[in-house]
Amino acid sequence: MVVSAAAEPPLAVALYVHVPFCRSKCAYCDFYSLAGHEQLQPAFVDAALFEAGHWSHYDLLDDVPSLYVGGGTPTALGGELPRLVAGLLETACLRSDAEITVETNPETTDAALVDALVAAGVGRFSLGVQSFDDAVLRVLGRPHDARRAADAARLLAASGASLSLDLICGAPGQTEASWRGTLHRAVETGASHLSVYPLSVEGGTPLEATVAAGSVAAPDPDVAAEMMLTAESVLRDAGLYRYEVANYARPGNESRHNLVYWQGGAYLGIGPHAASMLPFRALRDVASSECWALGQLAEDGQPARARFSRDVQLLDYLKGPLASPGPFELLSAAQTAREDVMLGLRLVRGVTHAAVEAAGLPEVLRRLEGEGLVESEDGRWRTTERGWLLGNRVFGAVWNG
Amino acid sequence: MTEPNLIRNFSIIAHIDHGKSTLADRILELTHTIEDRDMVEQVLDSMDIERERGITIKAQAVRVLYTADDGETYTLNLIDTPGHVDFTYEVSRSLQACEGALLVVDATQGVEAQTVANALMAMNAHLEIIPVINKVDLPSADPDRVRHEIEEALAIPAEEAVLASAKTGEGVRESLEAIVRLVPPPRGDADAPLKALIFDSYFDAYRGVVALIRVVDGSLTRGVKVRMMATGAVAEVEEVGVRRPVLLPVDELGVGEVGYLITGLKDPALVKVGDTVTLARHGATAPLPGYRDVKPMVYTGLFPIDGDQYPELRDALDKLRLNDPAVIYEPESSHALGFGFRCGFLGLLHMEIVKERLEREFGLELLATAPSVEYRVTAMSGEVVTVHSPQDMPDAGIVEKIEEPYLKVTVLVPPEFVGAIMELTDLHRASFVDMQYLSATTVEMHYRMPLSELIMDFFDQLKSRTRGYASLDYEFQGYEPSDLVKLDVLLAGKVVDALSFIVHKDKAQARGKVLVEKLRKIIPRQMFEVPIQAAIGGRIIARETVKAVRKDVLAKCYGGDISRKRKLLEKQKEGKKRMKQVGAVEVPQEAFMAILKVDD
Repeated sequence: MVVSAAAEPPLAVALYVHVPFCRSKCAYCDFYSLAGHEQLQPAFVDAALFEAGHWSHYDLLDDVPSLYVGGGTPTALGGELPRLVAGLLETACLRSDAEITVETNPETTDAALVDALVAAGVGRFSLGVQSFDDAVLRVLGRPHDARRAADAARLLAASGASLSLDLICGAPGQTEASWRGTLHRAVETGASHLSVYPLSVEGGTPLEATVAAGSVAAPDPDVAAEMMLTAESVLRDAGLYRYEVANYARPGNESRHNLVYWQGGAYLGIGPHAASMLPFRALRDVASSECWALGQLAEDGQPARARFSRDVQLLDYLKGPLASPGPFELLSAAQTAREDVMLGLRLVRGVTHAAVEAAGLPEVLRRLEGEGLVESEDGRWRTTERGWLLGNRVFGAVWNG
Repeated sequence: MTEPNLIRNFSIIAHIDHGKSTLADRILELTHTIEDRDMVEQVLDSMDIERERGITIKAQAVRVLYTADDGETYTLNLIDTPGHVDFTYEVSRSLQACEGALLVVDATQGVEAQTVANALMAMNAHLEIIPVINKVDLPSADPDRVRHEIEEALAIPAEEAVLASAKTGEGVRESLEAIVRLVPPPRGDADAPLKALIFDSYFDAYRGVVALIRVVDGSLTRGVKVRMMATGAVAEVEEVGVRRPVLLPVDELGVGEVGYLITGLKDPALVKVGDTVTLARHGATAPLPGYRDVKPMVYTGLFPIDGDQYPELRDALDKLRLNDPAVIYEPESSHALGFGFRCGFLGLLHMEIVKERLEREFGLELLATAPSVEYRVTAMSGEVVTVHSPQDMPDAGIVEKIEEPYLKVTVLVPPEFVGAIMELTDLHRASFVDMQYLSATTVEMHYRMPLSELIMDFFDQLKSRTRGYASLDYEFQGYEPSDLVKLDVLLAGKVVDALSFIVHKDKAQARGKVLVEKLRKIIPRQMFEVPIQAAIGGRIIARETVKAVRKDVLAKCYGGDISRKRKLLEKQKEGKKRMKQVGAVEVPQEAFMAILKVDD
């Protein structure tokens, strides 16, 4: 039994739930999820709520600024999804103005479910569209066509919640014209937030196999680069501004949950394949009560931050949702400072000079400035237009020091 | 001292992997020279690298005591020889120390190139050759066919060949019996002045150079002063003894005996393989025949990836040379790669092994440039210069002629691959000499070919085009003039001296084109465009471009991606460390060897 120290305010912890179910698997996706297996869905929801209760018991869900339900395809849960959301709201103490997001796909978005979710408190939907070009959707192995995607977007836009769309560029066979078309149609849906990702071929996916076999061309990084530039300009003209490497929003509609990741905020992930980050002192007591082996820091000193991520099969999760959520990775104070600068430079607003100095990185930043990858303005360092495309050079220089 | 009649000096010769080291192990076990519990597989291959590659590099000698069927106890000196064509000279000296040889032939593979080559060397050394057909335990063993091959290919009677399996132990005793019965005892004059052949040596940090010797005439005792006849070095005998295989000192080594000699000399240059040891006073007048100053055939530039490690590289080469006097080296500097050494080796295998030893035993990270041969350049002025490094090649304008080393090459191959061999040799400026059938399943083909072509991946190509069936042997045959030019490679407009190479005029265009194409694939995209050009005498003959990198970013970085992303960035950093910064361009190591693979 942990007694909360009344003098200290509770730790703000964003909550993420990973729902490992999909109607079908897309060719490019390497996230963990099962197609079908609907009979396991109720048990999953029970297990997820049980795990949430466990964290709550340790006072880690006393101040939750955002809830994000992702996966997989959360709406594949159908009627079980509102139960999951309601259960989480009961267990965790969400702020009154908490942002609650649910991910969905066109083929599982139906009016009744959307209404039930909005009634339960969901204020934001993230729709996986990827493209409004049927040819591209086929290459990506998506289970819907452009019309279905547009219908789903319309439905969600009318629900009163705010809408975000996911888009993919640089797919094999995708032309610049097709991409512009997709961008314009995305803006027309009235979405106030867009995520734009260049396609990458992940190991173990059907896409990897078809590319290796030569039946599908490998994504061309130069084409993807052009498309990312196009996206930035088309979306800016439409009033959606980039605020992070891959994310665009009308001012005020940035994803508060995702901002937590890039600003060094704490978060907990629930489910068989979810990641968390807590300040070390918050994890330490829980770990010792639960007898979780945290491991050691590679160097001297106390760990400042802990990252951990569960990576188990669904059945194992159902059998033991309270099993160790590790493996655990411990970071020193110095590493934490560098990590914060690295993640902060993903944001358009960048990081303060003070943060850069605290991380011992002024020289590195000046060197990157010399290469035209970052710039300094108003006491902050930020990534330049050139720097976005060559982000790994920026992030690598910062992390590797 | 042992009665010569009870001594038998023999070697085991074979093609690579036919099992001679395993046979040597069984002999040591059978004669209880080594107790089973101390048995490390393939004891005589004492270096890690030798064990890993399954080859013997250093000759070793062991005295074993064998009680034969006739009741007598014989002293058998087993001299294990290097098993690779790079080390032919060492093999010949080791054979010179013997009177007989066990010729081991794999019962499934039959006679291969080095079987023939080594057998010929043994015959030239007038050894009694006893065929041993090994691995008879394998299901595909065909001893009759192999017996046939031995007789046809080598004209060695094989009806009484010993059938053996070094793995199971079958035939080991019979091999030793055959040695006792058929190998003649050593003959020599005990009263004549000392003549002992040095057939190998190694360096011991405490004792200095340890020479392995065979006493031909006279005897060798502790305390006498001896002279090395070729090097002129004089020293006192600190210790003589035999190897069991641990060193066992004795008072005296007499005619026919094989053992070791320690003189306290520390410089390997003074104790050379093939040299004759005699008494300093009243010694022999003529040395034993066959001594040769070993010449390197293949040269490469070795550079530390981190320039600060240059002193460590120099020390490492100094230390390595103590045990491997065949390696020669001199400082070399390259605009592209900084300071390093131009090293000479007996062959490609020797080069690979030395590089690996330098990296492993001394913790160095090295970059090797493509191997090159020694060219003899005659200038218009009449002056003759030897060139080991392409960057030292004088300008075409002042060159009268360039000569390069040629080889006599022997390839053994099944008949169905004769066409493949002809195609391959055509690509490598080889001229066909002749061909004969050794048996229904083996053809022996002879070619003349420049060494510089052999080192261009010839061996690997040979194996892959014949599915591994072909085997190769070669011998230096002299220098011939060739129409050669120097091909330069420019990166971002600047000549990178370490990438230059010498090529035949007729092949320059084609190879240059393939090379720049290969480099374009090997050199990673940089923050700017990198033109790659091949040029001869300043004239560009081929060009490719490495486009500037436009996108290098992981767009998705949410909660679960952060750790993975950092690890990726760390991996990227590690990758960069293995590159060499050449001017503004990051160049990976493979680029410097790319020229070797242009005939794929």
